[in-house]
Parts: sequence; structure tokens; C-alpha cells
Amino acid sequence: MRTLRRAWRPAYAKVALLVLLAIALLAVFGGWLAPHDPLAQNPRNMLRGPGPGHLLGTDYLGRDVLSRLLEGSGRSVAGAVEAVAAAMAVGVPAGLASLWMGRVGEWIAQRAVDALMTLPFTVFAIAVVGALGNGMHQAMLALGVLYAPLFFRMTRAAALSLRHAPYVESAELFGASVGRVLRIHIWSKVLPTVIVTAAHALATCLLVVSSLTFLGVGVQPPAATWGGMLATDLGFLTQQIWAPVFPAALIVITAGALNVLADAVRDAGADELLPGGAPDPAAGAPAATDSPDTTKERADAALPVV
Amino acid sequence: MLGLALGAGGSLLLAACGGVATTGAGGGGETLRWGWDLPSTWDPVFSSKGWDVHLLSLVYSGLTQLDPKGAAEPALASSWRYSPDGRRLTFTLRRGLRFSDGTPVNAEAVRKSLERGKNHPKSLIASQLTSIDTVRAPDPHTVVLELTEADYQLPALLAGKTGMVVSPAAFGADEARLATRPVGHGPFRLVSYTQNSMASLRRDPGYWNAEHIAVERFEAFPKPDETTALAALQSGRLNVAQIPFSQVKAAREAGFRVQLIPSMVVRVLDVNTAMKPFDDPAVLKALKYAVDRQALLDSEQFGHGEVDHQPFPPGYTGFDPALGAVYRHDPERARALLRKAGYHDGVGVTITTTQPQGAPEQLQAQLNRVGFRARIEVIPEARASQVVYVQHSRALYLDQFAGRESPVQAMQVLFGAEGLMNPSRRTTPELDAAVAAVRRTPLESPRYPEVLRAATAVAVRTMPNVFLYTVPRALARTSSVSPIPSLPVVQRFEGVTAG
Repeated sequence: MRTLRRAWRPAYAKVALLVLLAIALLAVFGGWLAPHDPLAQNPRNMLRGPGPGHLLGTDYLGRDVLSRLLEGSGRSVAGAVEAVAAAMAVGVPAGLASLWMGRVGEWIAQRAVDALMTLPFTVFAIAVVGALGNGMHQAMLALGVLYAPLFFRMTRAAALSLRHAPYVESAELFGASVGRVLRIHIWSKVLPTVIVTAAHALATCLLVVSSLTFLGVGVQPPAATWGGMLATDLGFLTQQIWAPVFPAALIVITAGALNVLADAVRDAGADELLPGGAPDPAAGAPAATDSPDTTKERADAALPVV
Repeated sequence: MLGLALGAGGSLLLAACGGVATTGAGGGGETLRWGWDLPSTWDPVFSSKGWDVHLLSLVYSGLTQLDPKGAAEPALASSWRYSPDGRRLTFTLRRGLRFSDGTPVNAEAVRKSLERGKNHPKSLIASQLTSIDTVRAPDPHTVVLELTEADYQLPALLAGKTGMVVSPAAFGADEARLATRPVGHGPFRLVSYTQNSMASLRRDPGYWNAEHIAVERFEAFPKPDETTALAALQSGRLNVAQIPFSQVKAAREAGFRVQLIPSMVVRVLDVNTAMKPFDDPAVLKALKYAVDRQALLDSEQFGHGEVDHQPFPPGYTGFDPALGAVYRHDPERARALLRKAGYHDGVGVTITTTQPQGAPEQLQAQLNRVGFRARIEVIPEARASQVVYVQHSRALYLDQFAGRESPVQAMQVLFGAEGLMNPSRRTTPELDAAVAAVRRTPLESPRYPEVLRAATAVAVRTMPNVFLYTVPRALARTSSVSPIPSLPVVQRFEGVTAG
């Protein structure tokens, strides 16, 4: 919590949060704010430029672009959130649990994660969609499974040094259960890492959701998403060269704000994330240096998933 | 000579572009770089896509080919004649021709090639050759087809993929190799081929019509993406490309020559009447009246092409003007039909497509307006043939019919009991009789147009396919390329120069 309070202090973090708040409002209320029915077609009025009736113009079926952008915000953001939530649900508990699995268990968990990381993302997503049907939730599930290794490794790397810290070992010697050790001594220190990872992953997932829609996977027309609108706009560049700017701008702004916020949390928690800094005063001194295992896993965790 | 006669309206097939440059010299030209779909295989017997015929015709010839009006004209055969009862067709071959492997193109080779297409267990053209009983080669320059019944469509039928002659030495030695190394007698020879990437061809000076082939090198690439078609021309990567209709105006403004070549291609909905909800004739009828073809044409093709309720384009012999707008857009009638059939809460239907944007979205809105509850299902293009044509597991598929050299062949594909685009595999005795009558009628008979149109009318009224609009071939070319011949089915390149 201290880290989050510190993250709020820089002006750029405040701006990023405000932007994200605005995006969140758009995601929730975008459909209500839409001036027209986002699905209402008017082929006689297609590919019109911005004007009084349609502030951002109309698309290839005469639908109001502004209304589709607003109404599609929730779907676009929800998709990214769903994917990251799925990744966290799989990766974080597994990453923490792997520390108590014993040598064999750890080895198996890490090789399973290695195997997942080798899967080409687009092919995997299309395969999952082919097996489970083409829909938003199926595509997000595929995305979540592929992002789970990122959370597994980041969580594990952050927790690995804490696992053998004297104050954790002391707590265990005093009879604290695994659950209590995790909750009291480890989770609070791992949380900032998870938040930074989630923010970065959200930004990436937003782009990936867009690219999946671009490939016809996930959200299906006529439902609007930022990525879907971007994809179809590119087919009419000769008529509306400016059209892709609107959905692209929303994607860039959201992803940028998430990245800035993640940086702010990272900077604010830099000391705490390092085992040598900001110890829990009640728990004694942590280990002074990383073990070779910890250093390697943190480096591995930073590898891109996609 | 027999041929596929066109009515007076057939002039439309010639109307779109100017004259075609010809050269008597042949060869020596620059490279023609064409953006088109590369073939599913280079073996015509196993080709599964209608579009393959364009590239296959670069390396293969048939006994006949189609002229710009769609009538059969000589190719490997210099002439042909029917016996009086129409059950024997005799072709006389040109002399001195050779396949690209050096073996002679003679009657024995033609016999073996036709028999392979007819009898190979995996042949995809066998169903087109059922009227051929036996093939004989009484001398090296004569091929005789003994027919099971009078079939005057064969000269036109053999002008396409069905009649492409493959070297027997090639399929006798290593049949599988033909998929990537075609051995035929065509205007070009394949020099190198990288699947899904590029086919490089060189002019064959031994081709029977070589004096009209002007380009020395021909390179075929996959059809460029909609967003990059013009860029591909501007960069010089291609000098002829199929472009989307949305870019016709921009291409002209950018200085490219654009030809809208009338073709036999018709956009169509394949309807499976063995599946719900189209097992109910009222629902099928409501579907036909619910579709606003003009709105689809205007937004999908920017008005290029024509609304069409029939399997043939207006102006073609088989097009029946008397049918008129038989399923004119009538949402009230469609709504009433559904209500009368008891669907007061609407009827669910899935529109299957490989490309969800545009026409499927518009179609969905049109159907929902009259009481359907339509949803769009997207399937990968690579799976579409299997899912729709082989498994017949989709009730409504937004498709495109590429046309065929013979109208009877077209009807077999669309409506026949084994027709690829007849997913329910149901037909009617009335239609079977009408198609048989077409087959039995000589093409030069004054009754032929009437008989063919009668079959068209029966098909349109009794079969479930919902025809939408014609799709011209939009080809953009750089100024260095001379006009492309306006041919309705197979795109050939006689007389075309590049550079």
C-alpha cells in the first residue's frame, strides 16, 4: 500500500490515472453516450467524413463512427482485463505455490511454463478458438493461458528471495502456516511486482485483443471494438485516410497510460522490490544479496511472452 | 464448328475494355507480374478451387478454349464434329505439338489424360465427364469420344480445367509431383514455384498459339491484400493486380489503367435445406425476399456489377430475362411468410462466412429486419471447402460461384446431386429433366437458348441457392502493360505486352 501511495505522487502518474479513469468511464458508459445506434446501417450514407450529423463520420456501412468507438470501448477494455485476470488467476498462485513444491515439483512447474512460452501466440489463439468456438471469452482464455507464464515467473522471482529470508524462516519456526507466511510476509511484498506486471500486460493485451480482432478472432462483427474498427478502416484508406486515427488513438492513449502508471508503481516500489531495501521492520533483516537462482529467474521473467 | 452460342446480349462480355494488342513476333517482352491466387495444386484433376483454372491455363491447354463470347474454339484440337445422333464426338488434333517434358501431344496422350480425369478414384472432375463412355485414339491425330447419351456441351466443357491435357509420361512416372511440377502444353512453362509465394514461368515457343504470346516471363504472386494492392502496383512488385472495388477510383486517379472485365462470377448464398431452419420452405422463401441485393451491391462493390437473381450474368445465353427480379426485395412479404409459418418470435439463423466485414454484416441486418435472428459465424478460409462443400454442415454460407465453361456444368455444380454448391444434395426430377434436355440440344439449334433458359427458370424457382449480384474482374495494370483480353471465364493473356 505504501508503494501505491508513493506511486500516486508524480504528476505523470496522476495524468495517467486520470486518463485511465476516463477510459474506464467510457468502457462503462460508452454505450449510453453514443449519439446513434452503433449498429444502425445506412449504406446510402457510407464513408462520409466528419460533419454535424456524424462528428467522426460514418463507416463502410454508413454506421456512426463515434457511436461505435464509444460503444466498443467496454468490449475492448473488458477483453484485455479478462485476459490479464485469467493470466493472473493461473500464474500468480502457481508462481507462489511453486516455492513450496519441492525440487521435483518446482522442476515440473518450470518446464511446464517453459513449454507454454514456446507456443506461438497467434497460432495458439486460433487453435483454441478453433477448438472452443470463435468468441471473445475463448480468445481471452487463450490469451490468459499464454500470459500466465509471465505472472508465474515474475511472482516466483519476487518471492524466491523472500522464501529464505530470516524473518520468513523465523515465522515458520514459530509454527506459522504456509498460508499465514504467504499472506503476512510474502504477498504484501510481491503485490507491487504483480501490479506492475499486470499494468504492462494490460497494455499489451489491449493491443493483442485489437490484433486478434484484426485477424477475425475473438469479437465478431457487427460488434464494435477498437481493433476491429482499425482493421476495417485500413481497407478503405483511399476513401478515408484519416479514419484509422480515431481507434488507433484510443488504443495508443490507453496503452500509454497503463505503461506510464506501471512505470510509476515500479519506480515507487523500487526499493521495496529489492531484497536489500525497505525491509519489514517487524521481520528482521532480509538476505543481503540475491541468490544466483533469484537473479536468473528475474531476468528470465522479463522475457517477452509474445 | 459447334460452340457455345450467346444471345444478342452477349455483347456485354466485350463491352468493358478496348481492343487487345497483338503481336506477330512473339517473345522478347518484359515480365508480366500478376497478383492472383496461386493454385491449390498444379494438377487439374485434383484442383479444388474454381480460381485455379486461371493459373493452370498458363501451363495447360485443353482440346478447346472459349472465345470472348464464351463459345468453344479450337485449341489442341483443330476441329471437331458430332455424329448425327450426338453420341460420338470426334476431335482432330494439331500436329507436331509437345508437352513441356518433350513427349508428343497425340491422340494416345489425350486419351490417357481424359481417362485419368474420368476414372481416377480421387478425381475432382470425374463427375463432369460422366457422359463420356469410352475414349478412343484410332490414329495419332484423332480422338473419338463415345458418349453414353447425346451431350453437345462437351466442346465447351473441355475448354476448362476438366479438359486440360496432362502428359501421361508425367502422371505415369510420379503423379504426386504434378502438384508442384505441372507437365502440360501451354503458353508458358513453370520454371520455379514456391507454394503460397510465387510461380515463375517462361514463354514456351512450341505452344500452338505462341505467336500471340508476347511476354517472355510471367510471374504469379498471391493476390495482394486489399490494403496493399495499389502499393504493390506503385512499387512495381506487380504490374497487373486484382484490386478491390473500393480502390477502382483511387487506382484510376493514381494513373493506373483499370479494366472491369465482365465475368461469370456471381455472389450467392448456399442454403442447406437439409438443415434447420431452411428445411421449412416458408423460411427459405422469406430469406429470398428478405435480401436487398441492390444495397449489398452498392456498398460491397461500389455499384460495379449487376443485381442478379440467376446463376448466369445478364446477357449470357442461359440468362432468362423473363424471370425478371423474381425475388425482388420485399421485407413485408418476408415478414409475413415467417409469421404465417408460425415464427412469431423470429427464427434463428447462422450466416457462415470467411470474411465477416461488409456483406455478412449487411445481410445480418437485412435478415433481422424481417424477423430472423441472424448471427455471423466466421470460419478460416482454409477450412471453408471442407466444412461447407464436404461436410455440408452449414445451413447458410455466403459464397461466390466462379462460373463454368459449360452452362450444364455450372448447373451440375450448383444444383446437381453431387454438386459442390448444393449442400443438401437435393435436386428435383423437373430440374434433372430440364438439364438433360439442354445437354441433348445442339448448340447451333435455334431452340438451344430457349431450352437452356427453361432450365435456368426451373432452377431459380425450385432450388434454394440465393443469387445476389455479378462480380466483374477488376484488374489494375501499369501503363507499361497493354490491355488484358476480356474473357468471361478463364483469364488468358494473348497479345498482352509488358514494358
